[in-house]
Amino acid sequence: MTARAGDALPSAPPVIRESLQGKYAGFASRFTAFAVDLGVGLGVFLLALAAISFAARVLTGQDISWNKGDTWVIIAYAVWQFIYFAYSWAASGRTAGMALIGVRVVTDDGTNVSGRRAVVRTLAFPLSFLFLGLGFAGILLGGRRRALHDVIAGTAVIYSWDARAARLRFLSRG
Amino acid sequence: MDPFERQRLADGRLATRREALAQAVTDRAVELVMSAVDVNALLDRVDLNAVLDQVDMDRVLDRIDLNRLLERIDLNDIVQSLDVDALIQQTDLGAVIAASSSGAAADVLDAVRSQAVGLDEFIARWIGRLRRRPYTGPPGPPDRPRAEAAS
Repeated sequence: MTARAGDALPSAPPVIRESLQGKYAGFASRFTAFAVDLGVGLGVFLLALAAISFAARVLTGQDISWNKGDTWVIIAYAVWQFIYFAYSWAASGRTAGMALIGVRVVTDDGTNVSGRRAVVRTLAFPLSFLFLGLGFAGILLGGRRRALHDVIAGTAVIYSWDARAARLRFLSRG
Repeated sequence: MDPFERQRLADGRLATRREALAQAVTDRAVELVMSAVDVNALLDRVDLNAVLDQVDMDRVLDRIDLNRLLERIDLNDIVQSLDVDALIQQTDLGAVIAASSSGAAADVLDAVRSQAVGLDEFIARWIGRLRRRPYTGPPGPPDRPRAEAAS
């Protein structure tokens, strides 16, 4: 019995021998990087609130109680997230999560993202979550793996991690 | 007395004297040769590499009884004679630990990235199957901005 090629299940993830550096990053890498960024952003924000509470208690002797439903806490969190993403993309093209996973944001022609483009991308980012995250479908279906906020800002996300160098590094350690 | 007995005794004494004389001559000759030979010059002329090439180390090792050899070595004595404190002071343990830690961290990071890329490929292959389009690898811009991507 011979199996047709079309019937074969997709094989297991290969050992990454070829460097994908410079190619468009896929959904899993981008989503993992975003999840790490959410954790980092939230952790830093909570630490900042704790520090403010401590400083207020030391200076005024009064406790500050934070309620996550408070409007101004939500606004502060949104501003912090905006600064975190916009500054990271403008400064180095990557956030902490993207640096960890080995991806970065570049413009359409592969150059570094300018400050203005980073701000546009950050502002357009929430739009990709609308309609059950329909804006992210482009990462799965598009030829250039771009989400809605990428299209709006004229950016793309590429692998900045050199798999071949990593493999050689690993082999050199024996 | 046997008439030949006296001759045999005389022959025995002569043989002993001859052997002693031969021994003395040999010792003297060896001594003279050794004093005349320049050993350093001789060693300079010996191609040790060529000699070693002709030595079959496997055969030599086969003839060595390592177990017997190890039985005769008292490891406790050797360990006790080591000045471990001085050894540690001369070793930059901090650098060694830092190097091994950074190596391990880099390995973990590479593993995480490799898994993420593998998952990317897995998802992309499935999407390709669902869309009935063969997946030929991750897409990239024609001129792949490698220089810009270098991390």
